[in-house]
Amino acid sequence: MAKFQWLQHKTEHGPLSQLWASFRQQHSAVIGLILFGFFGLIALFGPLLTPYDPYLQNPDVLLLPPSWDDMGDVRYLLGTDDLGRDQFSRLIKGASYTFGIALITALGALLLGLLLGVLAGMSKGFRASVFNHILDLALTIPSLLLAIIIVAILGPGLMNTIWAIMLALLPQFVHGIRNTILQQLEQDYVVAYRLDGANNWQILRHVIFPNTWEQLTVLFSMALSTAILDIAALGFLGLGAQAPAAEWGLMVADALDLIYLSPWSIALPGLLIFIAVLSVNLVSDGLRTAVRKRQES
Amino acid sequence: MSHLLEVVDLSKSYRKQQGLFRQTTVTALDQVSFSMNAGETLAVVGETGSGKSTLAKVLVGIEQPDQGEIRLAGQSVTLSHYRKYNHVIRYMFQDAERALNPSQKVGAMLDDVLRFSTVLDEKQRQQKVLQSLQQVGLLDEHISFYPHMFSAGQQQRLALARALILDPKILILDEALTVLDPTLRAQIVNLLLELQQQRSLSYLLISKNLRLVRHISDYCLVMQHGKVVESGPTEQLLLQPQHPHTKKLMGLS
Amino acid sequence: MLLLDIRNLTLELETSQGLIRAVDRVSLSLREGEIRGLVGESGSGKSLIAKAIVGVLNQRWRIKADRFHWCGVDLLQLPYDQQRKIIGRDIAMIYQEPSKCLDPTALIAEQLHESIPNSQLKGSWWNRARQKRKKAIALLHKVGIKEHQSVLESYPYQLSEGVCQKVMIAMAIAKNPKLLIADEPTTALEASTQAQLFRLISSLNQLKSMSVLLISNELDSIARYTHRLSVLYCGQLVESGETAKLLAQPYHPYTDALIKSVPEFQPDLAPKSQLYALPGSIPTLQHLPVGCRLGPRCPNARRECVHTPSLERKQHHYFSCHFPLQYKEPR
Repeated sequence: MAKFQWLQHKTEHGPLSQLWASFRQQHSAVIGLILFGFFGLIALFGPLLTPYDPYLQNPDVLLLPPSWDDMGDVRYLLGTDDLGRDQFSRLIKGASYTFGIALITALGALLLGLLLGVLAGMSKGFRASVFNHILDLALTIPSLLLAIIIVAILGPGLMNTIWAIMLALLPQFVHGIRNTILQQLEQDYVVAYRLDGANNWQILRHVIFPNTWEQLTVLFSMALSTAILDIAALGFLGLGAQAPAAEWGLMVADALDLIYLSPWSIALPGLLIFIAVLSVNLVSDGLRTAVRKRQES
Repeated sequence: MSHLLEVVDLSKSYRKQQGLFRQTTVTALDQVSFSMNAGETLAVVGETGSGKSTLAKVLVGIEQPDQGEIRLAGQSVTLSHYRKYNHVIRYMFQDAERALNPSQKVGAMLDDVLRFSTVLDEKQRQQKVLQSLQQVGLLDEHISFYPHMFSAGQQQRLALARALILDPKILILDEALTVLDPTLRAQIVNLLLELQQQRSLSYLLISKNLRLVRHISDYCLVMQHGKVVESGPTEQLLLQPQHPHTKKLMGLS
Repeated sequence: MLLLDIRNLTLELETSQGLIRAVDRVSLSLREGEIRGLVGESGSGKSLIAKAIVGVLNQRWRIKADRFHWCGVDLLQLPYDQQRKIIGRDIAMIYQEPSKCLDPTALIAEQLHESIPNSQLKGSWWNRARQKRKKAIALLHKVGIKEHQSVLESYPYQLSEGVCQKVMIAMAIAKNPKLLIADEPTTALEASTQAQLFRLISSLNQLKSMSVLLISNELDSIARYTHRLSVLYCGQLVESGETAKLLAQPYHPYTDALIKSVPEFQPDLAPKSQLYALPGSIPTLQHLPVGCRLGPRCPNARRECVHTPSLERKQHHYFSCHFPLQYKEPR
């Protein structure tokens, strides 16, 4: 009897490939993923791709429009800014600032959140409820506001921004992770594992993590889009990355005075922020749908 | 002579918070005593809320009894030391699918059981896993399957393999046969009976299906509101029920 | 007269892997005032057929039938509105888990009142509330609930499953339907309440000559209460006929296995002896075998079984098998 089953089920795979199969069916999510990968590559290898040093000032070519304009110069593909720095190189460099640092920040928040969330999820009674109420309090404050408050205390600067955003993202991570762990702990198979003789750590490793990484990925991607926006916003407000840095939000703020002279110097970094956030959101949305579909089937 | 399992005056009650200060106590088990020997099947029947599920949970150590004693081969034990006592008593869930970790392959799952609770090395474990799969009529290939790839009947077999891999002496079946379709249930019943003959396993069968109880059990325990209201050899008890509640369960009144 | 007459009902589901034929040419007929049992294991399509009869299958299902007559009217030919009107008037259905089918936020009284059609009430509108209440109490008495006052004033969660199911039946019979479809009405109930409920259903059948379609996955629990039985396996009609004859002399190996796998039908079976069981497991909808779907599990399958057998008839006993079991004539 089982022989039949064996032949019939050959096409089905593990959870990961099932997830990928239903993710692949959503075109928008795949486009998002391609864009996401593109940004990731640029953030990693950006310095190798830039035609000029992004901080090199060339007084001969100030405020050059993009190369397809009549006034443009093909050597400066996307034109230059008011100090004669190459826009193209600066935008590439900006990817590793805005996108790359957001990635690192969200990752750091995830790891910290995982630690605290697991502690909160596995503890019981009074400790758990105290933890919970503090978290709920922190969750009522929008993450950008929280980040601004933290920056105001720590003082402006890129490093402080990273810490601020990480701390601001933390409550939602801890909350989400705690909830998924509690949800898992209710399942029959956790009890079955306990009866098999597993201790807390083994249950966490063999049962809870394999069943929650999907939710974790979704959580992470949502936090990533918040992190990108927060970094750009803090840069724009002058609280994040400081002057010469080619951070996209900062570039928008710098070019604000020149909006009539060279509108492209605002439009281009703005567009990139938009596309980066969009790609992350598309991926996160696609992931969520895929996870839901997999759990339903 | 001491029995394989002996339960003396087992009591368990739950406290329920009602409002801020009021609490009510729900008695799930009230001085339950019974004993069973190797190779026997003891059936526990009763309505929902009669405490039969609580009894199973206490016996397997998920819940702690408030009072009373559980003796294994004459020795009093605390069953919550899972690693020590899961070689003696194992539990089968009502819904086999929900008790299987969906993101783990069957082979890894069975291997984990051995890793947590035995001192076997990798090769011995591998051998034991295959052996226990064959025992319940599954194939070696199945170790690389995920639980969702099995049908309901096969999942029940898998749960059985998982329970038997530690060579227990007592197996608790908590409504494990109720949800199956008739032809699949007959298969599992046959398998259980066969295993009982081969290895003199004891079963504690918790069920509301009296027809099944009649066929596979030696002794029968009727419970109501946490108390044992009638007990005795199954055939005799079902032929001449004494207690009104037993008669009601049989649909006679 | 035939109340319900379905010939070759086929239900197909559109999926990404193509059409899945979940119900394959099933015929079912119901006379006035009879209890017909529909038996099949999970995946046999018994609930789908019930849903098709009351017309609540969703858009993804394709329904085809050579004949789908209700009281002589072909329901599939009618426009949707009329179809709903007829079904709403004549057919009622009760489900497996009654406590989930009742509105958890409304009192039983409100829900019962709502199920009583206005056409049954006489007199002016200011009398209606009182009339409805009287009617609701009468309905509860009919289904054997004596303490009507407390039941009417409780929410579903305060009642046991058995009482909930009785309330469901009371709501179902409020409009005097010609047919009651009971989809596994007792699976969620205690053993003692099960018998009570079946007795209630069969007494309603006798007193009001209401036809009943009783759906279950266990042959033994409904055999006693039905006049006729239809046995389904994986969406194919396996055997149908009068209950007593079918139990005494099954022609199809599947029916035979169903009967033999239940200890109750085998009085001389020694306790703890092996039960008769078909090998293998029920195929999933995606992997249905061709021809006779019992094929891979059937003890006497032969080469011809890759072709779907047609429905054969012996007096009032229908079966679809190339190699029917030849029983000795009962002595």
